[in-house]
Amino acid sequence: MAVSILGELLITAGLVLGLFVVYSLWWTNVVADRKADKQGDKVRDNWAQDKGGPGALDTKDGIGFLHVPSMKNGEVLVEKGTSTKVLNDGVAGYYIDPVKATLPMTDKTGNFTLAAHRDGHGAKFHNIDKIKKGDPVVFETKDDWYVYKVFSILPETSKYNVKVLQSLPKQSGKTKPGHFITLTTCTPVYTSEYRYIVWGELERVQKVDSARTPPKELG
Amino acid sequence: MYGFIWRHLPGNAWVKALISLVLVLAVVYVLFQYVFPWAEPLLPFNDVTVNNQ
Repeated sequence: MAVSILGELLITAGLVLGLFVVYSLWWTNVVADRKADKQGDKVRDNWAQDKGGPGALDTKDGIGFLHVPSMKNGEVLVEKGTSTKVLNDGVAGYYIDPVKATLPMTDKTGNFTLAAHRDGHGAKFHNIDKIKKGDPVVFETKDDWYVYKVFSILPETSKYNVKVLQSLPKQSGKTKPGHFITLTTCTPVYTSEYRYIVWGELERVQKVDSARTPPKELG
Repeated sequence: MYGFIWRHLPGNAWVKALISLVLVLAVVYVLFQYVFPWAEPLLPFNDVTVNNQ
């Protein structure tokens, strides 16, 4: 009797763990994508209605969209902060801690540092390992397309390595200040043991036209 | 344990099966809605940022 109850409990535990995998790798994506789509639509609506006047930055709903053709996942909404709460909505967050990101719209030299989930919760940076040197990374704001080119990749680094976020990330090989973008996520897939880093540098800025024609890199 | 639950459900086999299905769905709902979201941040699978801690 006792043995059969123990057996049933073990089977139950196994089923619950299996369900947790389903939850982590599937259900969180469903929920996060739904949220991200809704928030993204809201940002685009605001842009279309020109709310807040020129230059106004609505950081609450998101500041723009990240397009990385080599990740093949469409557009990723970018929001403020890298807390679990922000990232779990299926978006990329720009760092405000421990090193504050320099937003491209400020035109200052610095580093536009972003983080997003590798698995679950939208898994927006799942295919980060498909990015190669020379690939374009495009950030879309209300008025501009910021076209970056990937110049350095760090496939594995410690999660404490905050130096990768510096406004001049020396580890990328750069020695002079510039306009950089940094993508961070966890690696290897399905774990959080290390961090995967991709660096890009701003190539050009293209004005958004009335039809929002994407730059040729996204063609 | 499951035998005990089965024996104490009312009705014939079909009704028991139906109630069991509803119970299973209720358990899955509670897990997905409350238990897993609570457990997830405690497990080291989903940290993606670099930080000082």
